[in-house]
Amino acid sequence: MTDTRETPPSSPVGRLLPIMLGITVVLALFAWLVLPRLRPYQFNGTVIQSELPATDFTLTSSNGPVSLSDYRGKLVVLYFGYTFCPDVCPTTLSDVNKALAQLGNKAQDVQLIMVSVDPARDDPEKLAEYVEFFNPTFIGVTGTDDEVRSVATPFGVWYEAHTEEGASGYLVDHVATLNVIDQEGHLKLVIGYGTGADAIAADLKYMLR
Amino acid sequence: MLSRRWKIGLISFAVVVFLSVFAFVIFQPVQVLPRVRLAPGFILTDQSGQRLTSEDVRGKFALYSFTYTNCPPPCGGIDATMQAVQNQLDEIELYGNEVEFVTISVDPERDTPETLARHAADLGAGPTWRFATTENQNALKDIVGGGFRTFYEQQDDGTFLLDPGFVLVDGYGIIRNEYRYETVSPDVDRIVRHIGILAEEVEKSTGAASLAYEAAHLFLCYSP
Repeated sequence: MTDTRETPPSSPVGRLLPIMLGITVVLALFAWLVLPRLRPYQFNGTVIQSELPATDFTLTSSNGPVSLSDYRGKLVVLYFGYTFCPDVCPTTLSDVNKALAQLGNKAQDVQLIMVSVDPARDDPEKLAEYVEFFNPTFIGVTGTDDEVRSVATPFGVWYEAHTEEGASGYLVDHVATLNVIDQEGHLKLVIGYGTGADAIAADLKYMLR
Repeated sequence: MLSRRWKIGLISFAVVVFLSVFAFVIFQPVQVLPRVRLAPGFILTDQSGQRLTSEDVRGKFALYSFTYTNCPPPCGGIDATMQAVQNQLDEIELYGNEVEFVTISVDPERDTPETLARHAADLGAGPTWRFATTENQNALKDIVGGGFRTFYEQQDDGTFLLDPGFVLVDGYGIIRNEYRYETVSPDVDRIVRHIGILAEEVEKSTGAASLAYEAAHLFLCYSP
């Protein structure tokens, strides 16, 4: 049998080669540029997906009553600590301050509130002086022991005073997490102690994007 | 303007993406337990008089139940369920995760550490089953009533109105499921299966697979 079809001017492989090369280059560029951006952000803190808003509370600051719901529209970083705290609280508060510095202008959309777990010794004035030493925008609040515990419990926080040899007075054991409440009042993130300023800044930055 | 061929290509791509998401949601290749909310922080005293806090069980799974030793029948079903879950744990793969069992008494007046220790011994409870409470009634109400959302109230005759239930908490301190006692019969099987699902998520949700797990959370592919 004889082939009556005309042969094409050049072989199909030769013609397809530039197209294949082009597609390969485009795919490679796509993989290199786009794919890393598609990967969802990995939070440094633990993500909480609660349907209900975080339990609201009202406690006392040196400027009068402060409620969690006063700060809808801002990120609230809620911390439980006390002014006699030897090292954990100063480290954490200074980490948050450093993180806010990395946020630039957006830092004004973040409000740190420290709830005192030592209501017997921390009065509102003393608290204000303490937290403002770390950052003038920080707020310190307190209440009765019962009030503070009721606020702390739903955030997974407990505290207990204990005396230790050599320490003046007593110390307070407490859970030292940072609880980030989003603009709608939902607890979004729990950041463990020692996470570091850069990691805190990254999480806050992502939530403020 | 795009050529016809490009349009067809784009539309088919969108259809494929849509169908994959649809298939994921319908067939639920990955099932998870919801992240219900943060479990309460607590500081209690256990049957040996030792402090038991929410931090002590961090990093492990914990199954909580709420009862009191003087509780009349059918209250015993609560302890029996806790026991049955422990006995069936060896039937599932835990991938090295530890499971703690915590029974919180709502009756600290009568349930002293000694009483709880006797009760634990009667039940043959092992070291991973803790019985605990606190004399601070306000704190107890915050923890059991507020945090674990389990209703209880003491009656004039000393007994309690109590909504029995079980709460499963993961290693991050997040409540992953609540079991109300009305659905009596399947509780043990369900809880055991759920502990297995939790262990599987901890083991397998790394790297690319973690995206599938996050998608399962996003599309509410919750295990029944």
